[in-house]
Amino acid sequence: MNALNPYIPELATIIETFDETPDVKTFRVVLQDEAKMAAFCFEPGQVAQLSVFGTGESTFVICSPPTRMEYLQFSVMRVGELTHRLHTQKAGDPIGLRAPLGNHFPYKDMQGKDIVFIGGGLGLAPLRTLLLFMLDNRADYGKITLIYGGRTPEHLCFKDELKEWAARGDMRVELTVDTPGEGWQGRTGVVPAVLTELGVRPENAVAVTCGPPIMIRFTLEALGKLGFTDEQIVTTLERRMKCGIGLCGRCNIGEKFVCVDGPVFTQAQLRGLPQEF
Amino acid sequence: MVTRFLKETDLAAVTAAWARDYRVLAPVREGAAIVYRVFSEDMHPFLGRPPTSSAKEALLPQTENLFTYTYRKDHADLTRTEVFLSEALPPEPTLILGPRPCDARGRHLLDRVFLERGVTDPQYKAHSAATLFVTVACTSLQNTCFCHWTGGAMDDETGSDVLLHPLVVGNTGGFVAKAVTLAGEKLLTSLGASLPEATQEMLAKLDERRAKATDPESPSEPVPDLSAVAESFLAVFDDLDFWTDQSARCLSCGVCTYLCPTCSCFNITDENHGLSGRRLRTWDTCMSALYTLEGSGHNPRFSRAHRLRNRVGHKFSYHPREFPQAATEPPSSPSGLEFSCTGCGRCIKSCPVAVDIRRIVLDVIKTATGAAAAHKTAQKAEEAQ
Repeated sequence: MNALNPYIPELATIIETFDETPDVKTFRVVLQDEAKMAAFCFEPGQVAQLSVFGTGESTFVICSPPTRMEYLQFSVMRVGELTHRLHTQKAGDPIGLRAPLGNHFPYKDMQGKDIVFIGGGLGLAPLRTLLLFMLDNRADYGKITLIYGGRTPEHLCFKDELKEWAARGDMRVELTVDTPGEGWQGRTGVVPAVLTELGVRPENAVAVTCGPPIMIRFTLEALGKLGFTDEQIVTTLERRMKCGIGLCGRCNIGEKFVCVDGPVFTQAQLRGLPQEF
Repeated sequence: MVTRFLKETDLAAVTAAWARDYRVLAPVREGAAIVYRVFSEDMHPFLGRPPTSSAKEALLPQTENLFTYTYRKDHADLTRTEVFLSEALPPEPTLILGPRPCDARGRHLLDRVFLERGVTDPQYKAHSAATLFVTVACTSLQNTCFCHWTGGAMDDETGSDVLLHPLVVGNTGGFVAKAVTLAGEKLLTSLGASLPEATQEMLAKLDERRAKATDPESPSEPVPDLSAVAESFLAVFDDLDFWTDQSARCLSCGVCTYLCPTCSCFNITDENHGLSGRRLRTWDTCMSALYTLEGSGHNPRFSRAHRLRNRVGHKFSYHPREFPQAATEPPSSPSGLEFSCTGCGRCIKSCPVAVDIRRIVLDVIKTATGAAAAHKTAQKAEEAQ
C-alpha cells in the first residue's frame, strides 16, 4: 500500500494470463518497482484492489500463497464493466494494485487440525491460497480434504492443479458437478450433498468454505448436521467494495466493514452480526 | 476571547476582505434554495436561514480528484503502453461562511470516519486543515430541527472557528462574532477597525438569550430518552414488516444522504479522456440499490426497507456502537450516546415524501420495548403453567 495515500495504486505489470473456464481468467502480476515487489508481504485470504485505469477498480482475493512470491495471482470472472476490461488485458499491460487489504484466514489457529475445504465455482480462489500455503507447510496440518463443485466440468477452476492435488497422496480431492459432460468420471450432485455423503468428521477439524450464497447456505446446514460448531466453520464474504480501507461505507454489516474486519469470518462471528448478507 | 461586531451592511465587504486570502464558500439564494457558491464581489451572502445544503462539501467535495493517470505508448513497440500517475493538487485555503452549529458539529462526526477509523484519509485531512468555519448561531428552532436530541444547541461552538450571533442593536442589524479557535481569532483581528469590538451590552444580551434558551423552567422542547436506541435498533432489525412499513413512502431518491452533514459514503470512478483521465471520489448514497449491488447480481440490501434500515441503523446504532468512547467526550447527546446525526433536519425538510427520521427512531424504541414487554409476558405465562 502507498503509505502516504492509500487511494493511489502501485503500478504493476501482467506477466501471464490464461483461461480457467469460459468466463474465468487468471492473471499473474508483479509490481513494477522490484524493491517493492521484494518487500511485498501479505497473509492468505487478504485481497487486492486491481485497477484498469480508465475503467476503474475492483476487489479480488490474492489467490497465490505468500509462500510463492514470484508473482501475485488473481482469478477473475467476467461479470461487470471492470472485469470485462480486465479480461482484454494481456501480458505486458500495466495495471494498478492496492494491497494487501482486509484480514486473513486464521491459519495459526488451524495448525494441528484436519482441514476440510468446501468450494464452489470461483469460490475455490481464496481457498487455493490457504490450501497451497498449507501444502507448503504440510507438517503443520492434519488431514486435508477438498470438496469442490462446479456447474459443469468445464466450469471447474484450476483444473491442472486439481489433478496434481488428487495425485499427491497427502490430501483427498472430491470433485462434483451439477451437469456432467461427456467423459466426466467424477461425482454428479451439489457440494453439500457430497459433504453429507462423505460423512466428514468434525472432531479436531475446521471447515473452510467459499462459493455462491446458495451453496454456502446449504453447506452450513450440512456442516451443522455433521456436528461442526459455528467456531469450526470459516468462510470468506464477498461484498461490493470501493475504497477497501473501511471508509466508503458500502460493505458494512452492522458496524463491521467486510473490507477491514473481513473478508474472513467464522460462522460464530457472523451469527453475532445483523443478518444482512 | 475575541468578540467583534459585524454590521449586516458590512457583511459583503468583510466577506470580500476574507476572499482575498481564502476561497470563500458563501450561501446565496438560488430559486427556493440556499446553496454555497465560491464568493465573488457581485454576490450577496444570505445568512437569514440555514442553507439548503450542508457544509460537508467544504471538507468532502461532491466530486474531487483522487489522482490523474496518463497512458503513454511505447514508440518502439506500439502494442506496449506505460501508465503514469500524479497525485491530486492540495486544496486551497477555504472559508465556509454561514453553516449552522449542526453543520459545524458534523465536522466532528466526519473526523470520526476519516481520521479515527484506523486509516487517515489524506485528502479529507488536507481539506480539514485548510478550512475555516464561520458559523451562524440560530435564534429559533424550525419545526424540522432536533439538534438538542443529539447534543447540539442553537449556539453550540463545536467545529466552528468563528460563531456569528445575530443581534439587532437599535436600528442596526448584525452579528456578534465570537472567535472559537486561534485561526478564528486571526480572522477577526486581521480586519482591524472594520470589525469593532463587541460592547458589554451586546454580550449581556447574548447571555440573556442563552439563559432563556437553557432555562429549565421553560424548556423549548422535551428531549426524548434515546439511551436505548442503539440496542433497540438491533432488536427490531429482523422485523422486516416494521421496516417495510417505515419505508413504504421512500422513493430511494437519496436527497436525505446528499444533504446530510454527516453522511460520508462515497463512490470511486474513473473519467477517461483519450489516453488520460482522473480517478474521482464522488458522494454516494446508501439509498440507491446500485450502492451494494454485486457483480454476481446478489444484493444484500435489495429493497427500500433494507436501505432505509441501514441509514437509520448507521446513524443511531452502528455509529454509537463503533465509537462508544464518545460517550465520555464533550459533544455527546443528552442520552449519553454519540449519534452520527446532528439533528439538522435537512433529511426531513427536503424529503419529497416526508419521511421523518425522528419518528422512525421513536418507533424503533417503542417497538423494541413493546416486543420486549410481550416477550416477558409470554415468559411469565409459560412459567405460570
